[in-house]
Amino acid sequence: MATVLVIDDEFGLAEVIEMALEDEGHRVIAAVNGEQGLERLAEAAVDLVLLDYMMPILDGPGVLRAMRAEPVLRLIPVVLMTSLDEATARRGCEGFVAFLRKPFRIEALVRTVAAALAGGGR
Amino acid sequence: MTEEGAGGPGPAAGIEGRLQRVPTGVPGLDAVLRGGLFAGGGYIVRGGPGAGKTILANQVCFQHARAGGKALFVTLLAENHARMVQHLERLGFYDPALVPNGVYYVSAFRALEEGGLRGLMTLLRREVRARGATVLAVDGLMAVAEGGDSDREFRKFFHELQAFISTEGCVALLLVSSSRAEHHPEHTMVDGLIALEDSRVGSRSQRELEVRKSRGSGALRGRHPFRITDGGIAVYPRIEALLARPSQPDGRPDGRVSTGVPALDGMMGGGPLAGTTTLVLGASGTGKTTLGMHYLARSSEREPGLHFGFYETPDRLAAYAASMGLDLDGPVQRGDLEILWRPTAEQIMDDLGSQLIEAVRRRGVKRLFVDGLGGYLEAIDRRERVSQVFAALCNELRALGVTTFVAGETMNLVGPEVAVPVEGVSVIVDNMVLLRFVELRARLHRLVSVMKVRGSDFDLALREFRITGAGIELAGTFADAESVMSGFGVERQAAVRRGSAFAPGKGPTRPRGGGG
Repeated sequence: MATVLVIDDEFGLAEVIEMALEDEGHRVIAAVNGEQGLERLAEAAVDLVLLDYMMPILDGPGVLRAMRAEPVLRLIPVVLMTSLDEATARRGCEGFVAFLRKPFRIEALVRTVAAALAGGGR
Repeated sequence: MTEEGAGGPGPAAGIEGRLQRVPTGVPGLDAVLRGGLFAGGGYIVRGGPGAGKTILANQVCFQHARAGGKALFVTLLAENHARMVQHLERLGFYDPALVPNGVYYVSAFRALEEGGLRGLMTLLRREVRARGATVLAVDGLMAVAEGGDSDREFRKFFHELQAFISTEGCVALLLVSSSRAEHHPEHTMVDGLIALEDSRVGSRSQRELEVRKSRGSGALRGRHPFRITDGGIAVYPRIEALLARPSQPDGRPDGRVSTGVPALDGMMGGGPLAGTTTLVLGASGTGKTTLGMHYLARSSEREPGLHFGFYETPDRLAAYAASMGLDLDGPVQRGDLEILWRPTAEQIMDDLGSQLIEAVRRRGVKRLFVDGLGGYLEAIDRRERVSQVFAALCNELRALGVTTFVAGETMNLVGPEVAVPVEGVSVIVDNMVLLRFVELRARLHRLVSVMKVRGSDFDLALREFRITGAGIELAGTFADAESVMSGFGVERQAAVRRGSAFAPGKGPTRPRGGGG
């Protein structure tokens, strides 16, 4: 079992992700924007971050930059989730180990999370 | 607000002095809005499910970003942005390269849930500033209205939002459902209200857009048809509103223009005056299109021509013309003539009118043949508009110095009655030429007569004509007009003795008519 932090401003999607990962036996923490996500990272030991790109207050690239600047957080794997294509997403930010293009199927989510936790990325 | 206050792609200065316009970039909508939305203005976009609100708002966002501005799309619904983007990807205005730097999507559902209207306002202020947005779209405002807050709180929220976007020079598009009654406070507080609706036109549905409120500016009033095309939304401003006043003053008629049939020119006092509209009336097969091809075969660099038709494809038309010794291919290849074919199915009259005027302006057309009036009538949504639309088009074409021929089909194939296809049209046109079949000695004959030439003397004679391998050939006058006009000519001995009207030495008699 792992602790997964889901940072996404879309309520419906975050709920679905949370349920799906809990079904897989993971513990899930949620945050609705990047700023709140960094607060959660400071509060709890997290094994994996599922990170949205476009969010209010602090966006995905902003969270990644903050995590890379913090030695304690630098090694936590991050899966980027966005409706942007991967090339555009990579131009905007770096440091994520896997990419999930929205909308995605639950099977793809579960598979990607398992691979990222195993250290294999996508 | 300063001249530079709105930022972004440089809002266009409007006629309203210091108020600046932000073009929507949606085809036709800026014409309806007379230049675009006001920088710093709040606009409600209202419509039922599937009306096109979300597409319209996204299209404005992308066009704004394409012009160098920044747009923020905020949804208050618990819906998936990715799903919405998937639908948008099919539309031509969507450009993934503009996301996220030009168009940014965020959900404010949680902010509203957790912080109420105050939380939402905080998020909107923060995000608009953080993104440097000059266009803000908020989808799902019903969620706010129905969120349990009182009308007073909702009014306060709107006041704050209006004040904020005004100081930021940001245009706000607020998307609401049509189930929200218009007496609610937000409708009175915004600068504009754009309604999207569906109307039944016979057995089809027509999307229509109406600017019900436009504070500080006179939008084109009324319901304007629109389509959701592969490129996105395209609005077709009502032609009679768009062209209520011609785009330029029409000068004095500058000479006469040849019809391409010298004998007919003679009947019309030398040809129609330049800049006038001639209605060529006749039953199917009488030769209206043939006359139009004679007219267009005279297209030149000095007098560019345009065939705007609904029935014949360009290839068929050129082949038919060639069979009569008329060369349309040459003028087309030289760029002196353009043939535009618009099949009649599912057309919108206002779209056709705009296309016609655009094609005329684009090439400085001087010779126009519209084939024919029936194509327009099939595209009309409300019959009572026809004469107004036709008058507006004629006035604009006259102002542009175009000499126009319009084919109009009469229903009766043979006979004395002339049924003008639309009431009021004969008053609008400057000239009328009537082509008809008459029956004589068990054979149909074609007759041409001039019924009206505005500002000019004309020949009242009836003339027989034939369509041969050399095109239209006019013969002498039919002497017994009474019998011929009946459509069931009674042969008389004198007529038998005269033989064919095409016999050599049969010069026409020329009773004259006064100019109308």
